[in-house]
Amino acid sequence: MKRYADLSRHDGNQTLFDLVEMSIAATYCGDPLHLHAEGLRGTGKTTIMRTARDILPTITRVKGCIYNCDPRRPHCPVHRDMSAEELAAVGVEEIQMPFLEISHSAKVGTVAGSIDLAKITDPSNPQAALLPGVIPQAHRGIIFLDEINRLADTSPEITDILLDVMGNKPGRLQIEEAGLPVVELPIIVSVWAASNPDEEPGPLEEVRRQLSDRFDMVFYMGRPGSVEVVADMLAKSREKEKSTVDSKVEALHAEYRRRILEIAAGYAEAELPDFLRNFIARVYIKHNLESLRAVEAIQQGTILYSLLKKRKQPTVADVIEMIPLALKHRVDGDTLVKIMNSLEARGTKESILSLKEKVGGAKGKGGVEKEEEELFVGGARRLKDIGRSELIATEKTLNPQD
Amino acid sequence: MTVSGKNEAFDTSTLVGNYLGMYFDKEQGVRLGETTVVSRKAHALIPGKKGHVRVLTNRDAGKTYRNFVDVDQVVHIDVHHSPGEIDPRLVARHIYWGIEQHLVEIDPSLGFNEEEKNKAVLEYALRIEVVTAAGKGTVYDLSQGEVRPPDESERHATHIHILASFTSDRYLMILPVAQAAEEAILEAGLSLGKIKRIVHGKEKAKQESLAGYLILPWRKSQGDYTSVLMRENQNQLILKLAEKFASVEELEEFMESYSSNIFKRKSREEQKRKVGDLDEYLEQLQDLGLMRKGLLGPTLTNEGKQLVQYMIRHRCDIEAEIRRSIRRTPGRSRSYQRIGKSERSASHIEFTNRNKTRPLGASHWSGDIAVPETIIQARKRGLVTGDSRLTIRKEDLQVYDRKSYVPIDICLLIDASASMAGDKRHAACYLAEHLLLTGREKVGVVIFQDTKARVVVPFTRNHKYLSRGLASIRPGGFTPMADGIATAVKLITTTKVSNPLLLMITDGVPNFPLWSMDAKADAMKAAEAIARSNIRFVCIGIESNKIFLRDLVEVGKGTLYVVDDLNQNCLIDIAKYERRMASHE
Repeated sequence: MKRYADLSRHDGNQTLFDLVEMSIAATYCGDPLHLHAEGLRGTGKTTIMRTARDILPTITRVKGCIYNCDPRRPHCPVHRDMSAEELAAVGVEEIQMPFLEISHSAKVGTVAGSIDLAKITDPSNPQAALLPGVIPQAHRGIIFLDEINRLADTSPEITDILLDVMGNKPGRLQIEEAGLPVVELPIIVSVWAASNPDEEPGPLEEVRRQLSDRFDMVFYMGRPGSVEVVADMLAKSREKEKSTVDSKVEALHAEYRRRILEIAAGYAEAELPDFLRNFIARVYIKHNLESLRAVEAIQQGTILYSLLKKRKQPTVADVIEMIPLALKHRVDGDTLVKIMNSLEARGTKESILSLKEKVGGAKGKGGVEKEEEELFVGGARRLKDIGRSELIATEKTLNPQD
Repeated sequence: MTVSGKNEAFDTSTLVGNYLGMYFDKEQGVRLGETTVVSRKAHALIPGKKGHVRVLTNRDAGKTYRNFVDVDQVVHIDVHHSPGEIDPRLVARHIYWGIEQHLVEIDPSLGFNEEEKNKAVLEYALRIEVVTAAGKGTVYDLSQGEVRPPDESERHATHIHILASFTSDRYLMILPVAQAAEEAILEAGLSLGKIKRIVHGKEKAKQESLAGYLILPWRKSQGDYTSVLMRENQNQLILKLAEKFASVEELEEFMESYSSNIFKRKSREEQKRKVGDLDEYLEQLQDLGLMRKGLLGPTLTNEGKQLVQYMIRHRCDIEAEIRRSIRRTPGRSRSYQRIGKSERSASHIEFTNRNKTRPLGASHWSGDIAVPETIIQARKRGLVTGDSRLTIRKEDLQVYDRKSYVPIDICLLIDASASMAGDKRHAACYLAEHLLLTGREKVGVVIFQDTKARVVVPFTRNHKYLSRGLASIRPGGFTPMADGIATAVKLITTTKVSNPLLLMITDGVPNFPLWSMDAKADAMKAAEAIARSNIRFVCIGIESNKIFLRDLVEVGKGTLYVVDDLNQNCLIDIAKYERRMASHE
């Protein structure tokens, strides 16, 4: 099993590492960030996401609560009605942030919840009890779905549940089982998914548009571009058998965990400056984006990314970094490039207006001045000497023959 | 229009401000007095034309000069003078006085309230930025003696460039500011420059070309763009190009043929048959800086060569991207007319859906038993009836649901006569790829051209075979439709396919016979074979051939779609509709 710190980072996958760390920090704060990694076979999407288990921080839950109740805000059917004293009596415990997977053999019952088979068939004390499925058990943690496009195609029922869970933050989950009362739970969980859009049944947005929109960020994995990176990867894949480096790797993981907690602490406090918020809002209005989730994701991502990069305050560059991630699955490629270019193409940099650029270069400074001199027409009257009726002249009044 | 003399009662500056607001709202710039041009846009002297200023209506001043995100936030005031340097501090001092004077004029009580007056002036002084050849800064900073050096592109030797972040209620201050600037020019010993004409225009629209809006590494004039942006742009360019050429291979082939090695070059005629309007492509590639005109015709520039290299290196990513874009379902076009309806029964394929269970019906005993669900059901019943042992009865049995789908293998029969070259060929090929990539069924392609038909791609699920086959289509010659139909029927009947659908795309009528001397009669005869072989038949044609094609589909017991234009969206729309219909019958 590869470990998170062992994985090679290169241009093509660095962003996924960033996103994974951002999402863990956000989940820790109770504000999930749903990720979707798309890429060709063997680009390491699944590996990165699965090994992220290694850097998950711990969370505090009500002791033994399978629903991972937060002691400050218990939500499960067992603990939500308890008084503070009763809860204190139950006690708390530290567990690693949950990381669960929904596999392709999953059924509605295993994902949401079903009647506990063991309890109902218990010969001495048969009872119809609820066995929470993967989603409620992953509360305050992460759910990973591999090949989500295939799942969306073959299991529309599970997709519907995911739509509910990812629809809002926090999401909701309703467990219905004949013979039991309906249970509704608030769910804070980041959904991570991986898929290869080039395999059956095609990209997620073509299979189930709604589900694809629920993902805050989509990242297209790139392949390693240089010989050095690939050689490094090969070397590392041999190295894993040696256990001598274990403590070193563990120290690295601990460092990641510390960073994530630091980001989480910053995230709880952070605010987006007004001008950036307006900047993002303008992108939404100007380019007619359909889903508000897109701009919410950009906002959330911008804050997290600036914290990840240890900046004091988010910048426009952070927003621009987030835009392709938040929009690539929501608009077509042309629109995305236009949005990005319109954001960056401002300014005098590429202005065709400056005479300098037009005539400059070859002619040099003297040339420009000469040119400007040629454009000069003297003999203008002062504004003060001009009568009120002549003050304003338009294109028409200046070119009367047209 | 000029300011009329009727409103003497109003203060001139306010009046001018109101008029300016009106013109600005119409996206216009105006000349104020004789020296000054005011607008909310970018404007500049036109090189080579004395005293002419062009206002670029599609370039907002705030965005252009100040990196603003919002439009219409900045008023751009240029006061022209004879070439020379002016100290911006001098200009700022005059503007400061001018504002002060004007404020007191409006509200004489300010003259006695120093504090209030300074506050009011400051409001303006912070919003106005002055740029001259010697330096720049806000009026406030400059009046404090702080001068920043101007950017290279901002060094104007012939005008004072003033940017005022004014909302319309502050436009009344534009005239005093311009007047103050003139006074500064005169004090600096320069003379005032006259503006003779204003023209409005747009900055050259780049969007019209294939990918003109893209920012490419070799086209950027200045400034740093993030690597994300460059990557997105470059990928988009390749995608766009590859889309035009249907595949990376074809694009590569096309580009390679313009590398400096003249022996590699394919004949123009050959290329024309494939891509249609060759010159347009070449021109656009030149616009993009990928090609240049040479002595021996166009050749690739270094950037073009680099791009080809990039494509070769990133082939598999790019190809995956292209397949992804081909998979995209376009919006409904519905711009077609449907005639006739074919009726064929379709065979289903059933498979077990492990995600869903249902009680076993009373009538039959078939299905995969879902064990846990069955036990739970039995136990629940036991609890209700008070039975403490686990007993399973027939009514407890839960089975997995079954799903079914109708596989439909599609044979495309494409007219590849001369008239199909270019866009129509491209649309038909795109359809073939789209069908293969979005479905689970096999796709085969048969073309007819010149004097005979040819199987280009036998039924396959392999995208590589398909695109290689499609790349070999070079439209030209007659329309031997009879042979086309006969060949397609033969292909379908000799291959193991399920629920075959024969989809013919043509922009003509048969003009080359197969068995007799009558091309149309032969086509009719061939169509009879379609009906006999129990093949679902769909024909897509254009309005002018409607009568013949209608008869043809009647004989073939098929459906005719008449379209205005054989574009890819329309073709995909029809093909998908037919596929859906076939699987629902």
